[in-house]
Order: sequence, then structure tokens, then C-alpha cells
Amino acid sequence: MSTPPVIEVRGLTRRFGHFTAVDAVDFDVQPGEIFGYLGANGAGKSTTIRMLCGLLAPSSGTARVAGHDIATDPQAVKRSIGYMSQKFSLYLDLTPAENLSFFAGAYGMRGAERRKRVEAALEEAELVDRRTTLTRDLPGGVRQRLALVSARLHRPAVLFLDEPTAGVAPDARRAFWRDIRALARAGTTLFVTTHHLDEAEYCARVGLMVDGRLVALDTPPGLKRTHVPGTFLAVETASGLPALRSALSDVAGILGVQPFGRRLRVRFALGAPLADPAALVAHLGGRGLANPSVEASDATLEDVFLELVRRSEPKEGAA
Amino acid sequence: MSALVRIGALARKELAHLRRDPQMLAFALLLPVILLLLFGYAISFDLDRIPLAVVDGDQTAESRALSQRLTAGSLFVEVGRPATPDAAEPLLRRGVARAALVIDEGYSRHLTRGEPAPVQLVLDGSDNSTAAVALGYATALARPKLPIAPPIEARARSLFNPGLKSAIFILPGLMTFILAMVAVMLTALTVAREYERGSMEQLFATPTRRLEIILGKLGPYFVLGLVQVLLVLTVGVVLFGLPVRGSLLLVFGVAGLFLLAMLAQGLLISVVTRSQMLASQLAVLSTLLPTLLLSGFIFPIANMPLPLRVLSQVFPASHMVSALRAILLRGNGPEAVARDCLAIAAFFVFVMLVTTRRFRRTVGG
Repeated sequence: MSTPPVIEVRGLTRRFGHFTAVDAVDFDVQPGEIFGYLGANGAGKSTTIRMLCGLLAPSSGTARVAGHDIATDPQAVKRSIGYMSQKFSLYLDLTPAENLSFFAGAYGMRGAERRKRVEAALEEAELVDRRTTLTRDLPGGVRQRLALVSARLHRPAVLFLDEPTAGVAPDARRAFWRDIRALARAGTTLFVTTHHLDEAEYCARVGLMVDGRLVALDTPPGLKRTHVPGTFLAVETASGLPALRSALSDVAGILGVQPFGRRLRVRFALGAPLADPAALVAHLGGRGLANPSVEASDATLEDVFLELVRRSEPKEGAA
Repeated sequence: MSALVRIGALARKELAHLRRDPQMLAFALLLPVILLLLFGYAISFDLDRIPLAVVDGDQTAESRALSQRLTAGSLFVEVGRPATPDAAEPLLRRGVARAALVIDEGYSRHLTRGEPAPVQLVLDGSDNSTAAVALGYATALARPKLPIAPPIEARARSLFNPGLKSAIFILPGLMTFILAMVAVMLTALTVAREYERGSMEQLFATPTRRLEIILGKLGPYFVLGLVQVLLVLTVGVVLFGLPVRGSLLLVFGVAGLFLLAMLAQGLLISVVTRSQMLASQLAVLSTLLPTLLLSGFIFPIANMPLPLRVLSQVFPASHMVSALRAILLRGNGPEAVARDCLAIAAFFVFVMLVTTRRFRRTVGG
């Protein structure tokens, strides 16, 4: 790529005593990219974010964010980034205007400039007429929006969002992601952790953390191609799941079967003879199943995630 | 410059929190006054109207004169005249009487013969201090007027607190106690709250430095503390007749220094505990013990065993009490309180150093 990366991470490691929370992680994030950082709780997502935000010194390795070294110049890093932490982003006992005014001040803005920025942010969050409502009385989605404009008051080049949609209603989550994509189009780089795998589909690239290691990093389609290759078919029959399972048990080339509502999602190896809706319907009909129906389906990031977790923890892969 | 902006933003935020939490503000402003009224009126080492039962077995003019001498002032009040010492016991047991004067038959006979005339004072020992005071009063009053004046008469005059009123004596201690309690508690709570709701990390993610966070968060509480000083002084002067013989400016100077030490103590507590619950308990414990027991507020420091005496010198409370007494009651100038101020400042610097080290280490970066 021609433009230099806005986040450069090399061998980044953080140990707490004998526990290695983040283990020699390498990646780059390009300007204007939405970079998704996925992993189970305790996989090292938050620790990585805290290091990149200058909140935690790395045990070894280096990282540069917006051109500043996180270990030697955390202060410069903090000035050029916005951070929405997982646990807290706003003071609930203050009004939206008070919250914004405080964070503007915390980034050194004052006087007319601060008032102007706060006003613009209130407008952007559509809270001009609710400026004196206490933040605790705002709906979760509105609060989330306010937190996002608050993290962007000082026009940071990079935004770090740690589980930004945890506990937010689905429609509000969609609206939130619309805002995030608009930001990326306008040139802001976004580093987002989430454990909603459907949200990760919105990301340009996704890194997967398992036990402190970055086990995969690619675009969502690339991850699916690499880690769960094959053809996915969604199969349903009026005869019920147990009958369907037994009818599938001796079909060649099946790599995995997953219940999905009243259907089974079946993953076939590429080129398996029955990996085709019409062929599979004919086979199941021949086995005496009532009204078999088969639809083409897509691999999801969840498939990728389960596969990778299974591979790195072979003994606990039963789940 | 932008450091000042950041500190200002934090201070304004803290004031907004206080506005939204009237209970906190009430705690800060009403509690000192309530404590002052409560303690000022309740903690009194002056005793009067001790209920007294009189068992007069003599029934003569002399015996009546004796019991009248005791009850003539306001110190003792006669609450009964049981016939026998045995009959007086239930009165003491039920607390109707705290003391019983027992005059045996033959009292006047002994007196007229010029012999010692023993009289018995039975005291309710379950209330040790009342008993001691009552005994002192009674001994003095029972002594009959001497026919010839003794050649030398000792007369004690108390300087600085002529009425020996305990309210005036305890007010400096009380002020110290109240200031310490409220300052440590509020600081401990406000910082622990930032940890508890996770906002401390959000603060650290801004370019605001740790020292700025401390200054911005504690500034408003420092000002609030000075308002408390004014409030407590006013109540002391108006209601309890507390004299202000020295410079008021010096009082505020010493109080300001003491407040800094207390804010530092609260900060240390919250940085260590990071929980409002624990912090408030530690705040009470760590102020109550030194200010009530070790400061000389109630128990004179000079009477303490050596280790406690040393310990009392470490805590700022004892220096604050002694400096306030020096300025308010004795009208001393700066030179008299310089050593106390130095000791308070040393405590402040030490606690601040420990706190900032701890602050830096635990959040990383």
C-alpha cells in the first residue's frame, strides 16, 4: 500500500505476572479502515486496546498510533485518538451538554471553541432539545450516539471503540454502525472490538484473538474462504431433525452439521457430489423424508470463529 | 495553559456532580453544623444537678445545715430522704439518685465536741466520671466554715478559659474532627466513584495528566472545606461563645494546610480501595481514631503512654488541635504554630508521594 498505516503493531506483548494477556501480536491498520478485533472475553482484546491508547505500557514489542510511539509518547497518542471504553463513556448524572463540555475541556478546548464544538456535537447527536435531560434518562441507543460524538470532539484521526454496542438494542446497533461507516468514509480510522459476529461483517478487515494470540487476520470473505472452505446448504424436512440427521449420516464429504432453527446447516467439502441443492433434495427424497427442501447458504464469521477456536483448543472443541 | 483548562474542566464537572447530588452537599455543609451542635451540647465535662438522696440519721440543725450546703448551689439536687441507708440503695440502683449522703446519728454531738464527724457519701460508680466529679464537689462543700481564716489561701484562676467551660475547650478538637471526617470522606468517595463506574480509565485516555486529575477533582472540595471552616467557626462563636483571640487569617491558613493533608489522606484511601463502600469505611476509621482519641481533643496527649504520644504526633489532627487552641484561645501568632504547621505539611507531602506512586503504578502507562 502507498499510504503509511495509521496503526502499526509489531510483536506487541503484555504479561501480567505469569499470564500473557497479549502474545506477540502484529498488524497494520490503514487510514479510513474499519478494523474489527474479535475474540471471546479474556482473549486479550481490551488489553490490546488499552496499550494502543497509551493506558498500559507493553511488556515488549512496539506500536505506533497516528505516528506516535505508544511507549515513549503516550501523551501524543492520547491527543490524536478518541476512546470509548467498554464500561464507561459518559457521566449519567450530568446532562449531555455537561458531559460534552467536560470532555472538550479535558482535551484542552476552551472558550468559544469549546462552546462551538459542544453545540455541533449536540446537533450531530440530535440532542439539541434534550440538552438538559440527565444522561441517565436517555435511551441506550441515544446515549451510545452521544458517547460517540463525545469521543470525537477533538477530531481524532483514530477512534478506538471497545465493545461499543454491548447491551444496546438491535435497531440502535444498526444505526450505530451506520454512523461508524459514515465516519470511515469521511477518513477516520476505526478500531472496533466486538463479540457480535454479525457486526464484524461491517469491518473491512477482522483480526481474531484466541488466548492472547492473533490467530487470523483478513477481510470477512477472505477469512471464510481460508478457514471454512466448502459449500453451505440449509436443509429442512417435515420429518424432523433426528430423521434428517440420520439420513445425512452416510453422505460423503460432509465437514460439519449445525442446527439452525428448524433447519440444519450442512457444510460440504468443495466438489462433494451432493453439495448441490437439487442433488441433495433428490437424495433425501430417496431416503423417504417428507418434503425435503435445500437452500444455498453462506459461511458466517461465526463458522470461522468456531473453527479457529476448535483448532486452537482441540480438547475443548466439543462446544 | 491547556493544563489549567483541563483542571478547570474537571473542577466544573465535580461541581456539577455535587449539584446533582444534594445529599452529598448536605453531608458536606449540614453535617458539620449538626455534629457541632450535638457534640457541643452533649460533650460537656461540666456537671451540675447531680441527683442526691439524703439519709439524715441525726435529724439536728447541724445535719440539716450540711445537706443544705450541698444542695444550695446548682450542683446537687435533693431527690429523696430515705430513712435508712438500705432504703437509699434502690434509689441508686434505679438511677433516681447518683449519690447518697448518709449522716449517722451523733453527727452534731461529734461536731460540738470538736471531734471528727464522719459523713458517708455513697456514689454510683457505674458512671465513673460523674462519680469522681460529684466526690470532688461534695468534699469541698461538706467542709464546715473554719472559725479562723487560714493564713494563706490558694486560689486558682484559669487563664484563657476563665469559666473553664468545656465547650470552649473542646471546640478546636471538634472543628478538627469535623473537618477531617468530611474532607477525607468526600475525597475518598469522589475518587473511588470514578474507579467504580470505570470513568477513571476514560479520564486517563484523555491527555489529562494524573496531577491535573488530582488538582481538578480535589479543588472544589478544598474550597468546600474552607466554607466548612467558616461555618463551624461562626457557629462556635455565636452559639458557644468561642473566642477568636488570634488572627482569623492564620486560622484559615492552618485550616487550609490541614485540609490539604486530609484530602491527601482521602485520595490515598480511594486509590488503594477503589470502592466507595470500602473507602467510606476506611475514611471513618482513619479519621475517627486519630482525631477523637489521639489528638488531645478528649484525652490529654501528655497522659498517653509513649508509643501513643509518638503516634499522635504523626497525625495532623493533634497539631491542628494544638494550633487552633493556640490561635483561638491564647491569641498566639504564626511563630507559635510554625512547628505544628511543619508537621502537618510533612504528613501531606509524605501521603501525596505514596499516593502518586500508587496512582501511577496501578493504572499503568
